[in-house]
Amino acid sequence: MADTTHEEWLAQIDAELDGELSLVERAALAQHLATCGHCAGARASHLEVRVALARSAGNPHAFVLPRPAIRAGTLALWLVVALAAGLVGGWFASHRWGGPGGGGTLEDTRGTIVVQ
Amino acid sequence: MIAALQGPGTRLTYRIRVIEPAAVAPRVVASGAVSGPLDSDMRLTLRTDTAEVEALFQVTAFDDTVTVGGEFLTRRLVGRSRRGLPLWEEDSYRRLVRMTWSDTARIYPFGTSLAPAVAPRALWVELILERHFAGGEGRATEQFELLDSTRDLSIEAVVRPRRARIILNLVRGDTVSGPRPMDLVLEEPPRVVQLVLKGRATTLVVSLTRPDPARSMRDRALALDADIVCLRVSQPAVLQPFGTICGRLNNVARQLPLPSGDTLAATFAWPGAR
Repeated sequence: MADTTHEEWLAQIDAELDGELSLVERAALAQHLATCGHCAGARASHLEVRVALARSAGNPHAFVLPRPAIRAGTLALWLVVALAAGLVGGWFASHRWGGPGGGGTLEDTRGTIVVQ
Repeated sequence: MIAALQGPGTRLTYRIRVIEPAAVAPRVVASGAVSGPLDSDMRLTLRTDTAEVEALFQVTAFDDTVTVGGEFLTRRLVGRSRRGLPLWEEDSYRRLVRMTWSDTARIYPFGTSLAPAVAPRALWVELILERHFAGGEGRATEQFELLDSTRDLSIEAVVRPRRARIILNLVRGDTVSGPRPMDLVLEEPPRVVQLVLKGRATTLVVSLTRPDPARSMRDRALALDADIVCLRVSQPAVLQPFGTICGRLNNVARQLPLPSGDTLAATFAWPGAR
């Protein structure tokens, strides 16, 4: 982003207000805005234009930037799926290849003498 | 105790058949017999790609019943290490059964588990014990026939010697005295022996003893040191011995340097048949 031109930063500001930037791109933009008064002013102007447009369209509230959110339900679901996959994989690997010692009890594998 | 058991009279025979189950009828894989004095033991070895069983069988007779004891040492292949090397599980245990002389004991060396990896084809060994008149024969005998050459099986007679034939030579440089054979009985009082080399007589006091118990658990359990004897050599009227020579009864000469500069060579062998 070091070589990004002023026009490109303005395009990034537009994209940010549209909620199209990734977290890394937003961080880079925020860093740039902290040092570039011109771009910071441009962003404020863009925001004012959007607010005015929203109000003229009958929306009394300012436009809110959409934020990526992780839902608790989705997180819990994926945790459960990962845990179940681990358990099934572990059981299968143990059953298929096993660990040292083999199956059955030790006494089963020992020799015996039976009198007939 | 051992002398009483090895006396003329009764002879013990372990008669075995190694049997493998087959589709139609069980198949005899090997058969054989080990015979000797009543205190004779039998060592059985079975090896497969995934398991090894070594066992020493001993019997204690009492009237019409006999107690069979088996010391088992087994190794089982249980898998492979992360580097692909085989991992073996070692186990040792003892089995004891009481039977009459006419009974047949069935030995399952790999256990009775049906898991093929644990019990390779679940073969068993039939053991029949017999006792009969010795007829003057005191030596152990072995007879074994392996009918399936792909199998690694063996049986051995294990007999602890009661006496041993010792041949003594005195060595000085490249000169050796005439051989001095002796029939020595274990744990008997020391005997005086005189060896003459180049006109100079050397008098020694010798006695035959048993070695200390083997340090290795496997050697002790399988009685791998059963035929080892020790010759204690000393000077007359001197308590401190020159040294002790230990070895198997295998006709190999073992040497002991003497303070006089000479070397005593002792060859251990089984005594001749009586």
